[in-house]
Amino acid sequence: MMKLFRFAIALGLYAGVAVAQPPGPGPQGPATGKAAAPHDITGYWVAVVTEDWRYRMITAKAGDYPGINLTPAAQLVANAWDPAKDIAAGNVCKAYGAGGLLRLPTRLHITWASDNVLSIETDAGKQKRLFKFGAAQDGAGAGTLQGVSKARWDLQRERAFGPVVNGTLEVVTTQMAPGYVRKNGVPYGEGAKLTEYYETVKEDNGEQFLIVIANLEDAANLAQPVLTSTNFKREPDGKKWDPSECTAK
Amino acid sequence: MQSLSVSSFCKRGVLLALGILLASGSHAQQQDFSKVKIEALKVRDNIYMLVGSGGNITLQIGADGVLIVDTQYAELSDRILAKIRELSKGPIRYIIDTHHHADHTGGNAKLRAAGMTVSGGNVGGDIADAGAGAQIIAHENALLHMTAPPAAGQPAIPSAALPTLTYFTPKKDLWFNGEGIRIMYEPNAHTDGDSIVYFRQSDVISSGDVYVTNQYPFIDIANGGSIQGIIAAANNIIDLIIPVYGQDGGTLVIPGHGRLSDIGDVINYREMLTIIRDRIADMIRKGMTLEQVKAAKPTQDYDPRWGASSGFWTTTQFVEAVYKNLSTAQGK
Amino acid sequence: MNSLIRSVLLLALAAGSCLLSSAAMSEKNLAGVWVGTYSEDWPDRFPGPELGDYAGLPINDADRLRALSWSASLIALPEYQCRVHPSDYANSFADIRLWEERDPITEKLIALHLQHFAWQTRRTIWMDGREHPPEYAQHTSMGFSTGQWDGQVLTIHTTHLKEGWLRRNGAARSDKATVTEHFIRHGDILTWTVVVNDPIYLEEPFIRNRDYRYSVDNQVANYACDSVVEMVRAPGYIPHHLPGTNEDVKIFAETHGIPYKAAMGGAATMYPEYIKVIRSLPVPSPR
Repeated sequence: MMKLFRFAIALGLYAGVAVAQPPGPGPQGPATGKAAAPHDITGYWVAVVTEDWRYRMITAKAGDYPGINLTPAAQLVANAWDPAKDIAAGNVCKAYGAGGLLRLPTRLHITWASDNVLSIETDAGKQKRLFKFGAAQDGAGAGTLQGVSKARWDLQRERAFGPVVNGTLEVVTTQMAPGYVRKNGVPYGEGAKLTEYYETVKEDNGEQFLIVIANLEDAANLAQPVLTSTNFKREPDGKKWDPSECTAK
Repeated sequence: MQSLSVSSFCKRGVLLALGILLASGSHAQQQDFSKVKIEALKVRDNIYMLVGSGGNITLQIGADGVLIVDTQYAELSDRILAKIRELSKGPIRYIIDTHHHADHTGGNAKLRAAGMTVSGGNVGGDIADAGAGAQIIAHENALLHMTAPPAAGQPAIPSAALPTLTYFTPKKDLWFNGEGIRIMYEPNAHTDGDSIVYFRQSDVISSGDVYVTNQYPFIDIANGGSIQGIIAAANNIIDLIIPVYGQDGGTLVIPGHGRLSDIGDVINYREMLTIIRDRIADMIRKGMTLEQVKAAKPTQDYDPRWGASSGFWTTTQFVEAVYKNLSTAQGK
Repeated sequence: MNSLIRSVLLLALAAGSCLLSSAAMSEKNLAGVWVGTYSEDWPDRFPGPELGDYAGLPINDADRLRALSWSASLIALPEYQCRVHPSDYANSFADIRLWEERDPITEKLIALHLQHFAWQTRRTIWMDGREHPPEYAQHTSMGFSTGQWDGQVLTIHTTHLKEGWLRRNGAARSDKATVTEHFIRHGDILTWTVVVNDPIYLEEPFIRNRDYRYSVDNQVANYACDSVVEMVRAPGYIPHHLPGTNEDVKIFAETHGIPYKAAMGGAATMYPEYIKVIRSLPVPSPR
């Protein structure tokens, strides 16, 4: 009886593993990030700035960051922000790091750089983030503004052994160079961890939105994580793509 | 700045209103009723709102029979009757006309004939008109308008369609189907013969055309209507209402046209009218002519929701009516 | 004996599957108390939006005039004091509680219910495929909502809304609007996205998100509101500003160094290219 029971457990576990794996070429091994993608996230997307407008479309004054709880040390840094000093120190792109980049008014161009690397470029500041799946995760990018981003698909099925009906792109980014979560000098440090979820939704009028839910944690600077959700609308092409240099203010 | 004498203003106003009256009479004749379906929306256990074409109908049903507020167009009476019969087999005892316009009284004759006056037993034979149909209740002014000489080319309203019981006091009460029903006069509102009907236990108000949700209210100046009266009527309705916590319920209002409402909707309506009135009144105080007022677009923020550029009652006509009302009131 | 073996096999199979596959479906349970987080739009949501701040709202000229005419004194009138925030605005602040209503026999999901702290509003999201009522039915502040799952995204369609607001500084949302919402849960984070489609007052759909964190021990408090007469006013008095007379609407632009035109909103103000427009416009002097 115990043998039978153990066999059944093993059978059940195997079935569970089969369910949890992304679809893909079975005999060849785990699917690539590109093959496993439950929907097409590539293309051009434009930020739709309906929230935090005066912190994103213009740059607020130093010390103006309500809703973000900073540690006492970080408050001193934020309140003393001086864009001229950033420029002088060669840090004009400090607000364009992974911790704050997608909150800037920007367009995104998302492509597969390879089967396991998703590239997100922004025209604002001409930045590029690389989301690496599985075997492609090599630690490259440590200490840069964009850090190291590890990606996976969180696939959803309607029932235990059913087909994939949707999925979320989950990205965890660490080892970023210090940056600004808001352009007016609100800091995060090298110990920060950014967890993002990329969701797409389609409206009845055919418009498609990309919603980026971002949770930024940094014990040294943030007394509470900064949790934001940023909307992008799909554009048919790159006609409005307009690369611009970083600005410190 | 050009100014107009009161008499020439009045002449223009009367002509305008007569035109509207003609339009309202002929409006029904030109309409195609073949596809109109009568729908019933349950408002309370014994109160229904019937929608079709023309004004909304309020139906109260119960052991005593059926009470109807307004009767829409004559062409729809059979369908209206059929819908009533789905909901109640009881006799139609009362019809209340909120005012005299044809889209609210056109079915009077047929629906009255389908009903019977409260009487019976040995006494029934002694009353000459017992069983002659339902009672039709309205304000006295509504009857006066319905018996006035018709416009050229229009037929007179048949006597069978006329109110049989009128009142001229601020209110008239009756008891029917287990509740008190208060009929209240709203002077010089949509017309000078408007009634609203308050079903006290059911907690429902039938407002007639003093409150609508589909367009700017029609101010029938030729028949005594005024913007101040409509606003006063809206305020009276608000005073009557006791809302549920959160205002999504409590006393409900069946408008003359449009959707079932509560205090929130009536408040928004009152707010819109008051603001427009205040703006036009301010412009009149500054000496602006009607054309200047129209050019200033005092209703611009409400037009997408309430206005119309064509049809029976347009935004322009509404602004003109408010201007003329207020100009007269201000003695210009 | 055979039936016993069968039962053991089935039980073990189910247990084994649950160990590894449940994570892929568990996100659909939204029930619980969710605490609002305010990393975004804090000034808008707590102290309240400033007069004259319509930046980032895709409002048209009609709505702009409504907003510029609006007076905060309106809220002091007794019949306005206990007006609730409509369902598409309610997520701007405070905590919520979500719970399911299931058929006791089939366990089929009938509805989701949402209680919001502000004015204790409670709304129902029908999940059983029912039709929306006819247009002439009553409109409410919560509207009539039906929902369906698309993977782990709950999409809700709401009609029959009473007139409401996009911001509580006078930017109105009409009663002809329909609203689409998306509830998305990731672990202990819930994102509530609202898309307002208003053919009366919007140039484009208006999208906005709010985020919540799951709480194991918070309760949603009750909220008492009682209308009182705060000031004696003439009957029927409605406070408002005649067009062009409210100078206070300029304070926002002057305080924050934003061009007046940008502060007046419109669809163009939502997009990155508007930054170039902002830089070309005169900046008002601080008041």
